[in-house]
Amino acid sequence: MKKILTLKNVFKDFSGLTVLSGITMEIFDGERHAIIGPNGAGKSTLFNIISGLYKPSKGNIYFLDKNITGWPINKITRLGLSRSFQIVNIFPRMTVFENVRNAVVSRFNRCFNFITLLNRDVEIKRESDRVIDLLALNDVRNVPASSLSYGGQRKLELALALALDPVLIMLDEPTAGLNTEETRNAMQLIRRLTEGKTLIIIEHDMEVVFNLADRITVLNHGKSLATGTPNEIQENQEVNEAYLRRIKSAA
Amino acid sequence: MSHRRTLQLVLIVTLVVLLLLLPKIFPTIYINLFIEIFIFALFAVSFNLLFGYCGLLPFGHAAFFGVGAYTAGIIFNRLHDIPLPMTLLMAALSGFLTGIFVGIFCVRLRGAYFALISLAFQMFLFTLAWKWRAVTKGDDGMGIFRPELHLPILGNISMMEISNLYYFTLVVVALGIFTCYLFLKTPLGNSALCMRENDFRASFLGYNIFLTKLIIFSVSALLAALAGALFVLFEEFVVTSSIDINMSMTVLVMSIIGGTSNFLGPILGATFYIVFQNWISSITHQWWLIMGILFIVVILYLEGGLISLFQMERFRFWVGRRVK
Amino acid sequence: MDALIKTYMLQGMHGLVYGMLVFLVASGFTLVFGMMNVLNIAHAAFYMLGAYIGYTISNHLNNFWLSLLIGPLTVGTIGVIIERFFLRRAHKLGHLAEFLLTYGLFFILCQLVIINWGSIPHPVPTPILLAENISLFGISYPLYRLFIIVFSFLVFLGMALILIRTRIGMIIRAAVSDPDMIGALGTNVQTLFMVVFGGGAALAGLAGVIAAPFLNAYPSMGLEMLMDCFVIVIIGGLGSLLGAFVASLMIGELHSFGILWIPRFAMVFQYLLMVIVLIVRPTGLFGEKE
Repeated sequence: MKKILTLKNVFKDFSGLTVLSGITMEIFDGERHAIIGPNGAGKSTLFNIISGLYKPSKGNIYFLDKNITGWPINKITRLGLSRSFQIVNIFPRMTVFENVRNAVVSRFNRCFNFITLLNRDVEIKRESDRVIDLLALNDVRNVPASSLSYGGQRKLELALALALDPVLIMLDEPTAGLNTEETRNAMQLIRRLTEGKTLIIIEHDMEVVFNLADRITVLNHGKSLATGTPNEIQENQEVNEAYLRRIKSAA
Repeated sequence: MSHRRTLQLVLIVTLVVLLLLLPKIFPTIYINLFIEIFIFALFAVSFNLLFGYCGLLPFGHAAFFGVGAYTAGIIFNRLHDIPLPMTLLMAALSGFLTGIFVGIFCVRLRGAYFALISLAFQMFLFTLAWKWRAVTKGDDGMGIFRPELHLPILGNISMMEISNLYYFTLVVVALGIFTCYLFLKTPLGNSALCMRENDFRASFLGYNIFLTKLIIFSVSALLAALAGALFVLFEEFVVTSSIDINMSMTVLVMSIIGGTSNFLGPILGATFYIVFQNWISSITHQWWLIMGILFIVVILYLEGGLISLFQMERFRFWVGRRVK
Repeated sequence: MDALIKTYMLQGMHGLVYGMLVFLVASGFTLVFGMMNVLNIAHAAFYMLGAYIGYTISNHLNNFWLSLLIGPLTVGTIGVIIERFFLRRAHKLGHLAEFLLTYGLFFILCQLVIINWGSIPHPVPTPILLAENISLFGISYPLYRLFIIVFSFLVFLGMALILIRTRIGMIIRAAVSDPDMIGALGTNVQTLFMVVFGGGAALAGLAGVIAAPFLNAYPSMGLEMLMDCFVIVIIGGLGSLLGAFVASLMIGELHSFGILWIPRFAMVFQYLLMVIVLIVRPTGLFGEKE
């Protein structure tokens, strides 16, 4: 099967503190891969490194057979990698439509176009509306993003990542702060909208993880404990000791 | 047509007619005033391109105004055969190129650091203008003669005739401002806005922060330089005050007072500043103090600048949508 | 002694004098930025006010030493008033509003000075006690300038002691290195800001009082000091006291020797240095990496 993303022995130090050590993983085409682990395990840092915010201290990252280690953020994104953020990171004063449109403009590679008028661009408008429709954000289309409810903002966060029509989409705790029903809806939405794409998702909600993921990687103290199918992970001794039991007892 | 649209159209037409008829109605002193307003309106619009639309606050924007002024001044002074439009073009181009060069270093910084590096470059250029007397005549300044404008059908138009200069400045400034307005409605203009709103997120959407900001910076420098060239044409003189910190601060104060979250804000600010300056300075010497107090009042109590006065709910249809 | 060496030493001394003066001003400037994240442009106006107050007191009361007391107190009070009634309000509107406000205040203060005292420079008499020259390494050197160096250094030591030894000093240092956490320390953040801001203003005022006999009181001294402060905090690092100290001395010597060696372009170097630092290491030589 085609490998979309490969990490080879990735390390990350921050001023002497090792946050990630020896991370090696492979993500296959069309796979839904979850990354779980206790707080501080390095999950978000991993996302930040893959998406280009940080450069790994050691190791390499390959995306679509290209070595993207050290590439600037926008270059990696243009290659087909898109991510969402754990803390909602949108354009607060712009409307929902304008937010999504920003992503669509980039997708159609028109960021530097200074010849045409943006409002007259039918293609961009149509595509932006399509994404808004997909995420059922139609009734807040012209509302400034900061006025949305938390759930709405999370949906917008998702919309931004999706509007780029990426090959690989990485979602960082997309259901954080949502109640049970909202979480279920979000899960269904994510499953539907990531059909045919490769997904990496950081999650704490085990129900989401075990229902959505094809494979799971468990991170602890910056190291990868185990990688496998949900069943394999549930039976894994080490994982149970380090993490799942804590989750189960806390539940 | 909707109510709002009709009103806007009527307003614009009235304004255009008034501007066109102005030299016929008013005495020279007012014509001079309006020429100055046009020039600084363009300068302020260029400032706001950087600040209001891209989120970068320059403390040394006069650098580009001055570059345009000195380029035009030197050409007017030494190269008499160059047609007027060509001189303006060259001044604008020199501003653009300086903008690219300076921008490469400035644009990666933000906030106070950006403001200060912009100031440093401006002070550097100021010192150059001051000390390189061979080229710029330092703080003595260079006097220039306004060249004639050669037009195909209308023949030679003397810029010494103040109403000619008025119309010429009006046309050039109008073109500059309108081009800027259209520019902001393109995808690139939207990219600039993204830089202001959340450039971090924009990079994760594939936007090249550095390049986008650099382009906006350079275009802003181009327009500022054009304003500087027109200024020299008007003043018939170029001296270090075109490139000093006072000039940088003047355009900043104009834009802030006018309102930076709306395209028309800086234009209103420039108009207000110059009219007010002329009016108050005939009454009292302390006009600077009053302007300073007004500046502070606007910052503390009128966040959107003077233009937001026209945007209160019931006047919402008067001016374009607030970007903010 | 060799004449060249003598000249260099003299210039070096001049540089030290100006460097120490500038440090007194820049230290408050950089601390306020480090703690409140405000680039207080009005700070340079505090320096100017101090000089003019010094001039007024010397003129009317003929007592320099009194102005050493009254100057900083007055300017410090003005600083507190500004923080309490203007800055605090602008704080709610964001960093930009604060920044622009301080510029507006600087501008107004400069105008008020011109209105009140006129645009011509006012020479301030050196206090009689210090008006002589003494022999330094075989050169005759004005005692007052030595006084400036020594006094400034004592003030610096005093500041350092307060910051290192006292409780409030520790709080201030903590606040500078981690502004978000000071609320958690249980101190009244508002009061702390007011005190530091006022203290910085008083320090700048003190520098102005001391500078007046040396440099005169003139309207553009605020702007010139502002430029120097900008350069210093960029080179030294915003928020770093040590950086401000090193950079102040650098700038002082640069002024001094620059005028000696390349009189026409001395100023250029200062700005060039600022640009280089901003490009290579924007947080300054001693600043924290962003």
